[in-house]
This record gives sequence, C-alpha cells and structure tokens, in this order.
Amino acid sequence: MLQTVEAPVSHNYLNEHQGIRSWLLTTDHKRVGLLFVASITGFFFIGSIFALIMRLQLLSPDGLLVSAETYNKMFSMHGITMVWFFLIPSIPNTLGNFLIPMMIGAKDVAFPRLNLLSWYLFMLGGIVALFAMLRGGVDSGWTFYTPLSTTYSTTYVTAAALGVFISGFGSIITGMNFITTIHRMRAPGLTWFRLPIFIWSMYATSLILVLATPILAITLLMIAVERVAQIGIFDPALGGDPILFQHMFWFYSHPAVYIMVLPGMGVISELVPAFSRKPLFGYKAVAFASLGIAVVGFLVWGHHMFVAGQSLYSGLVFSFLSYLVAIPSAIKVFNWTATLYKGSIAWDTPLIYAVGFIGLFTIGGMTGLFLAAIGLDVHVTDTYFVIAHFHYIMVGGTVLAYLGGLHYWWPKITGRLYPEGLAKISALTIFLGFNLTFFPQFVLGYLGMPRRYAAYPPEFQILNVFSTAGASILGVGYILPLVYLTWAWKYGKPAGANPWRATGLEWKTPSPPPVHNFEEVPVVTNRAYDYEAMKEELHLV
Amino acid sequence: MSETIATGKPELALREQFYTTEQQREATTLGMWVFLASEVMFFGGLFLAYTVYRSGHAIAFDQASRDMSVILGGMNTAVLITSSFTMALAVHAAQRGHTRALGWFLLATILIGLVFLGIKFTEYLQHYWEHKAPGLDFQTNLTDPGAVEMFFVFYFLMTMLHAVHMIIGIGLLTVLLLRTGLLTLGRDYHSPVVITGLYWHFVDIVWVFLFAIFYLPGLHLR
Amino acid sequence: MNEPIISVKTYAITYVSLLLLTLATTLLAYLDVGPLNTVLAIGIAVVKATLIAAVFMHVMREMMLVRLVIAGAIMWFVILISLTLSDYFTRAWFTT
Repeated sequence: MLQTVEAPVSHNYLNEHQGIRSWLLTTDHKRVGLLFVASITGFFFIGSIFALIMRLQLLSPDGLLVSAETYNKMFSMHGITMVWFFLIPSIPNTLGNFLIPMMIGAKDVAFPRLNLLSWYLFMLGGIVALFAMLRGGVDSGWTFYTPLSTTYSTTYVTAAALGVFISGFGSIITGMNFITTIHRMRAPGLTWFRLPIFIWSMYATSLILVLATPILAITLLMIAVERVAQIGIFDPALGGDPILFQHMFWFYSHPAVYIMVLPGMGVISELVPAFSRKPLFGYKAVAFASLGIAVVGFLVWGHHMFVAGQSLYSGLVFSFLSYLVAIPSAIKVFNWTATLYKGSIAWDTPLIYAVGFIGLFTIGGMTGLFLAAIGLDVHVTDTYFVIAHFHYIMVGGTVLAYLGGLHYWWPKITGRLYPEGLAKISALTIFLGFNLTFFPQFVLGYLGMPRRYAAYPPEFQILNVFSTAGASILGVGYILPLVYLTWAWKYGKPAGANPWRATGLEWKTPSPPPVHNFEEVPVVTNRAYDYEAMKEELHLV
Repeated sequence: MSETIATGKPELALREQFYTTEQQREATTLGMWVFLASEVMFFGGLFLAYTVYRSGHAIAFDQASRDMSVILGGMNTAVLITSSFTMALAVHAAQRGHTRALGWFLLATILIGLVFLGIKFTEYLQHYWEHKAPGLDFQTNLTDPGAVEMFFVFYFLMTMLHAVHMIIGIGLLTVLLLRTGLLTLGRDYHSPVVITGLYWHFVDIVWVFLFAIFYLPGLHLR
Repeated sequence: MNEPIISVKTYAITYVSLLLLTLATTLLAYLDVGPLNTVLAIGIAVVKATLIAAVFMHVMREMMLVRLVIAGAIMWFVILISLTLSDYFTRAWFTT
C-alpha cells in the first residue's frame, strides 16, 4: 500500500529557516502545529503521572500510598491538565493548524501572527497552571465547584483558574482564525460541499471554541474575584447561588467535550475513505451532522446537574435534548461503517486506530445515553460509571483519533514513513490496555464505587487491580509511538508526496511541504474523496 | 488630498497569505466580527448572572440602583456615544485618505475615552466613600443587604471589565495614531482603523446596556 | 474595493438620535409602570445598539456573513439566558 521514493526535497518548511528563533517567531501554520505537538505531548505525560499515582493508590482498598488530601489534588490536576492542556488543543491546534490551509489550498491561515500568539497564550496559561500544581496543587476537581473552590479550599485554586483563563484566549483566537480561514481562503472551485469532512468538523469545533470558551473565562474570573476579594457571588452564605456556578461552568464544559471529540470525528472521516478507497458514505449527512453536534451540544449542559438541585422540569428538558444530540453522532458511526462496507480495505495503522475509535466511541456514546436518562443517572452519577463513559470518548475516541491522524499525516509532516510493524503493535497495545483499564470501571460504577474517593470497600479491589494493570499496558502503548515517531523523523524511509494514494489537496504537494504549501494555486473541480476519478488517473487495481 | 499607501511599508497593503486586497479586507472584517461574537458571550455571562440575581431580588436591586448617580451615568453615556461618533468619522477619514483628519479624529476619540474613564473613576471613589464598595466596609440601610451588595458586586465587576476594554481600546487607538503619524496608514491600507472602530463601537454598545441595567432601575422609585 | 462607506451626514443623524434616545430612556425611567420599566429600558437599549451597529459599524452595508455572525452571537446569548432562567423559573413547579 505504501509507496516509497527518494529523499525529501530540499527547501521545505522544516529546513527553509533554521535555528530556534525561526521556530519561536514562526508564522508558518505548519511550524505552529508542531510547536503545539511538542507542548501537548509534554502536558499529556504530566497528566499521565497524576493518573499513575491515582491508579497506584487504588490498587488497595485502604489506599495508603497518598493521603486523601493528596489524592484530591491528583484527580483535580489530572483533569485540569488533560482537559485544558491536552484534549482541547490536541487535534485542533496540531493537525488542524497543519492541515486546514493545506486541505483548502491556501498558503497559510488568515491570521498567522495571531496563530503564533495562541501558542504563546497556551504556553503561558500552561506554565501558570503548572506553577499552581508544583507549588502545592489544586484540590477543587477540574470542575471547580463552589463553594469548595471559592471559600473552603486552601489550595492554589486562583492560580490554576488563571492558567486555564489565559490559555482559553488562545482557544478563542484559534477558533476565530479557523472560521475566517475556511470562509475566505478556499482555493478556486473549492465549494463548501467539496471540502474534506475534516474541514467541516474543524469549522463546527471552531464555532464552539468561539461561543463557549468566553463563558468559561468569565466563570473562572468570577471564582478568582470571589476568592481574592472575598465577596460572595456563588457563596450561599452571602446570598449567592452555587448552582448558578454549575450552570455557567457546564454551559462551556459540555460543548467543550464536543471541542474534544468533533475534530477526532473529522480525522476518522478522512481515514475511513482513504483506507477503504471509496468516497465517504453520505457526505452531506456527515457534514450537517458535524454542525448539528455543535449546535445541539449547547443545549444539553443540565445533564451534568440532574442531582445538583436544578428544577425537575429543567432536568426533563435537558434529558430529552441529550437524547437528541446522540443522533448526529450515530449518523456518523453508521456512515463510517457504510463506507467501510465493500471497500478495498488496507489494514494499516491509521485504519486500526479508526476502527478502534468507531467501536470505543460507540460504547462511550451509548453509555452517555444511559446517563441521559434521569432515573439511571441518579444511580450512577458521581460513580466510576461516569468516569468510564467519558474516558471511552476522550481516550477511546479522541486519543485514538489523534494517534491515527498523527500516523496518517506523519509522512506529510516529516517527509518520512513510520515503522508500520511497530506501529501496529502499539495500536493493539493501546487498544488492549485501554479496555482493560476502563471497562472494569463501568462495572465498578454500576456496583456503586464513587468517583473522587481515595479509598473504597474491599469487594471492589479485584476490578481496581484489573484497571491499574490495564493502565500500565496503556502507558507502554503510549510510550512506543513517542519513541518510533521521533526515530522516524530522522531515519524513516522517505515518503513522497502521496504515500497512501489518498484524495485531498494536502497530498498534491511534496512531503514535507514547501513553506507556502503549493507552488501554484490549486483549482478544484472534483468532489471530495473522488476515488473513481483517481482510479483513472493512477490505473489502480 | 488623498494619499496612497505610505512610504516604508508597501508590503502591508497585501499580506502574503492573501491573494487580493478584497480577500484581505473581508477576512479581517470577518475575523473581528467573530471575535466580537466571543465578546458578546464573555459579557453575556455576567449579564446572565445579573439577570438571575435580579429576578430573585427585583425590589432590592431597584432600591440599590437609587444610590447610582444618573447624572454621571447619563453624562458618561453621552460621552461614549460622542466617542463612537468621532471614531466613525475617523474611519470615514481613513477611507477617503484624509490622513490629517484621521489623526485628529483618533486623538479626539482617545481624549473623550479618557474623559469617560475619569468620570468612571470619580464614581468609583464616590461609591467607596459612601460605603457602597463590596468587601470594603459595605453598608446599607435597606432591607435585603445581601442582595443590595450583590447589585454592587455586579456593578463593579461589569463596569470594571468594561473599563479594561476601554483601556485596551485607548491603547489600540494610540498605536493607530502613531501609525497615522508615521504614514503607514492611508487610503489603500486602513483596515486596522476599521477593525479598531468595530471594537470601539462594540464596547460602546456594552455600555448602553450597562447604563440601562444599573442606572435606570431605581429612578421610578424617586 | 467595495468597502462600505457611509456619509458624514448619516453618522451625524445617528449621533443625535442616540443622544435623544439616551435622554428618552432616562426620562421614561422615572415613570412607575411596573414590569414595563425593564421592557422599555432594555428595548431602547436594543434600539440604540442596533443604530450603532447598523450605522457606525457599517452593518447595514456589510456582507451577509457578518450579519449571520451577529445573529449567531445574539442567538447564543439568548440560549444561555433562557435555558438557564428556565431552571430558576420552574423551581416552584412539581413541588409537593
């Protein structure tokens, strides 16, 4: 399946300008994408360390590894790091930055300097949050619920909130940049319905970035003001309403999970046609489903508050809307499956990740429906059932999609192929490790093990041991790509412009691409995923 | 009397990621409007919180509003509207290439903006002296002191956030004034003036609503 | 370039209208008309905001996309407020 050619062309975006200043002051979207790859990888491993400590703690029921207070800090910092400094920026700022201009035939994003600024804001926010974690930690949970976060916590809540606040502006700028780029920088002939679905997904994600993140910003600002100035906004003792905090927090944080998964879905929509060698089934349905997820995703936040004290009427409305939002996701799963059906399947690593995504996301999504039912939610809320549900989506979904996309586009990014055998082993290790870690947690939650507890009743031990065992396998699975992808950068076989023989403008330019992506402005006449036309061009079997 | 692109920075007329100046103009304008949409949600969160508390304590909020000076608030509203007028005239001058007029209107907008901030600061001082600054020896004789204090929490939070935006705006306008003086803005390249104008007018719009929710509610009780 | 250019006269008329509307909303606020007070205050504020947007911000001459962005922003704010308030306004329902 993979074709190899001679060594990469000189004068590409990697070697055109050299030296650290050319990287730190770059306005090239491809380099900014790589800056983000480096940063989020760092934060991913930091977040994993917190998880490691948690899983080690939970090996025994009486949890004597760390104190309960330290454990509270571990799960809080794991959540904060993974959500805001890994998942939210992951696909958008890495693959999104790298690919969006290329997929639409542009030279760069609309605002390249703002693009660089968003990386600096991300780093500044990350450093401030890291400072809070190293100075003594945060124990409020990544959800910062009041009045713990405002009144009772004695940890570095304000600093952590400030770190997230700052990096949030990076998100908003990214969203604004992508929306403008997609509207105004498409190559001639590239109408909306000829765009790759990755672009539709990134557009939908950008809508959420722009409209939801500001609410997080203002909410965290209010937390900081309440803590620092000692005035009650959410403090019931002073007439404030802690549920108002939750409304505002979840108004952002529910759409945020779609920021985390929509780009992943966009990647899968690229991988599945490429490795089935046929057009994506139901292109328009998938395109509109992306927008549908973004829009309806704003209407369901109360499903995080069924037992918080909101009105029952509200609960019913949010429950109903939460069922609705599953529909566009299901449409996508059906359409990916239909694309694979009778396709010419090539079981390369990206497809392994894509198929893994489809299965694990489906499990995650369906368990989301369990949680959307108020009656069931009352039983499993704040248990490991919820934790398993969102990890199936975030890890089984987003992380797999990120890794699949990284492998698929690695040849374009670096000009070199990764070692396929080792990559397959890693993908399978991750898949196995992931399921062993998180499937037992569904059972634990159903049986009643609460989340955010440093200790648990002894009858839950065996499932916790399985989970920790799975986590260590998962860890190995994560480290392998870190090693071989880095190795491949220098020593991998040269890839050529289109090693996968896939459709898409990004494959019509050398690997690695020149600084301005295309020598001439591409003119588009084909629809997306036009493998029929390509067959004629390349005489494929 | 129109000047084309100034000496020294001809490449600014068309940045390299764009193919035509029309594309650049549309992208820049669209980008600023998308950013303003995010600002609507940013202030919107505070308007939401204010509305939630107002709906639960309508009488206390109205009573608290009586301690606001409608003279100062009204004056400030007129001041800010005037600055929007001068800003619009600045954009108009830029579009026509009248660089001197552009400079004067930018300067006028800056000065009027500073007047606004001066009046605002005076108000804050007055509130502090009258024990109406939350957390700083707040005192009230009204029946629902918690809600009255909450009114002032939102007053200070929202107007301070607005003032921060004003200060940023004045900063941007100062940069524009410098660039006008350096002749890097002219008839063929003036989108920074247009988009700063959009930002400035947006901040004015926010004030229009702040005036309505903080200064007006108590008047019917007089 | 088809950049919208609006006349100084239009700007001036808008300016004066905004000042008059400010005066009007202030005077009307002295009347005691119950819930209508809030409706009037917000309503006039909306009119003023529309004038500023349409004229000073050129929206009346801008591309459709910009108007879509504005509509979207307003719609999202309305979603935020209405869905949140619907919790508070229905707390009293379904109580035993």
